[in-house]
Amino acid sequence: MMRPEQIWIVIPAYNEGPVIGQVVSKVAGSGFPNVLVIDDGSKDDTARQARLAGARVLSHPINRGAGAAAQTGLAYARRQGWNCVVQIDADGQHHPEDIHRLVEVQAQTEADIVLGSRFLDPSPGIPPTRILYNRISNVLTNTFCQRNYSDTQTGFRLLSARAIRNLRLRLDGFGYCSEMIVQAEEKGLRIAEAPIQVTYTDYSLNKGQDLVMGVTTAVDLLWKLLFYPSKMK
Amino acid sequence: MKLEVYQIIVPLASLGFVFNLVRRFLKSKASWQEAALGAAFWLSVGIFALFPDAISKAIADFFGIKSNINAIIFFCLGLIFFFQYKLFFMLKKNQMAITELARKITLQQAEKEDLQS
Repeated sequence: MMRPEQIWIVIPAYNEGPVIGQVVSKVAGSGFPNVLVIDDGSKDDTARQARLAGARVLSHPINRGAGAAAQTGLAYARRQGWNCVVQIDADGQHHPEDIHRLVEVQAQTEADIVLGSRFLDPSPGIPPTRILYNRISNVLTNTFCQRNYSDTQTGFRLLSARAIRNLRLRLDGFGYCSEMIVQAEEKGLRIAEAPIQVTYTDYSLNKGQDLVMGVTTAVDLLWKLLFYPSKMK
Repeated sequence: MKLEVYQIIVPLASLGFVFNLVRRFLKSKASWQEAALGAAFWLSVGIFALFPDAISKAIADFFGIKSNINAIIFFCLGLIFFFQYKLFFMLKKNQMAITELARKITLQQAEKEDLQS
């Protein structure tokens, strides 16, 4: 099983100045000292707060979207030769203690990707609109997958060295969550799921995807899948 | 056949666009798919300008539309969709290029910082 110091926690962040310091500190406090924050062209002090909390920070010169930031994290991980990356959201909704759970599942299943699922053992207080939105996204994504996944839109994911080497994400926005799963299956990567807990606050609810973003994400994904299937590989 | 002014100007302009596409293809500034698609489009515009009545009637007959005015409207709608597709494609291509550029700058900066530390 991977030791915590062999694992890098990657956090894509955009305008998360009020919470990013706390998120980085909590991750380090959970026993994972290596934290990389991808500041996606934030207009606030996200990068400074993350550095103050002890994270390594890479900054996009302009805002390009969550998927673009995630791919920058993967590109950097490849350059550095990292063996394991766990990606979590920057808004504080995830519990860093759950990283241990993903690492355990990875060790048991030898999966290349472990998805932290909010719906295998649902936390209380997930808003009904989020449940509905995620169900629709699951149906859409699972249509293009060989297996059914319970939480295709989760931002909490463990990636093995093989996944880091092979994945090339091209969707800039939140559609990358689905793109990663579809592409991983295409490339023969093994995917497992592990239950995670989430805490939604007013802050994190304001930061998530709304209906317009969801529709844009779906159109982006469908466009790529239907007209440029080769780009998904 | 009596030619209207537009029936001379439009085919000439179309030919100009086709030559421009061929030139871009020969200079490797356009792919063969782009050149072929563009040439087919501009040639059809030129031919449509030369024989508007015959073509709109043929389109109307083919689709079973009674009036050739309706055929022209449907044809124009098709053109609008075509341009919409092209614009969306270009937009996506540009967005990908910008993201790639932003990523390169970020990774270069990171490399510099790694060397310094």
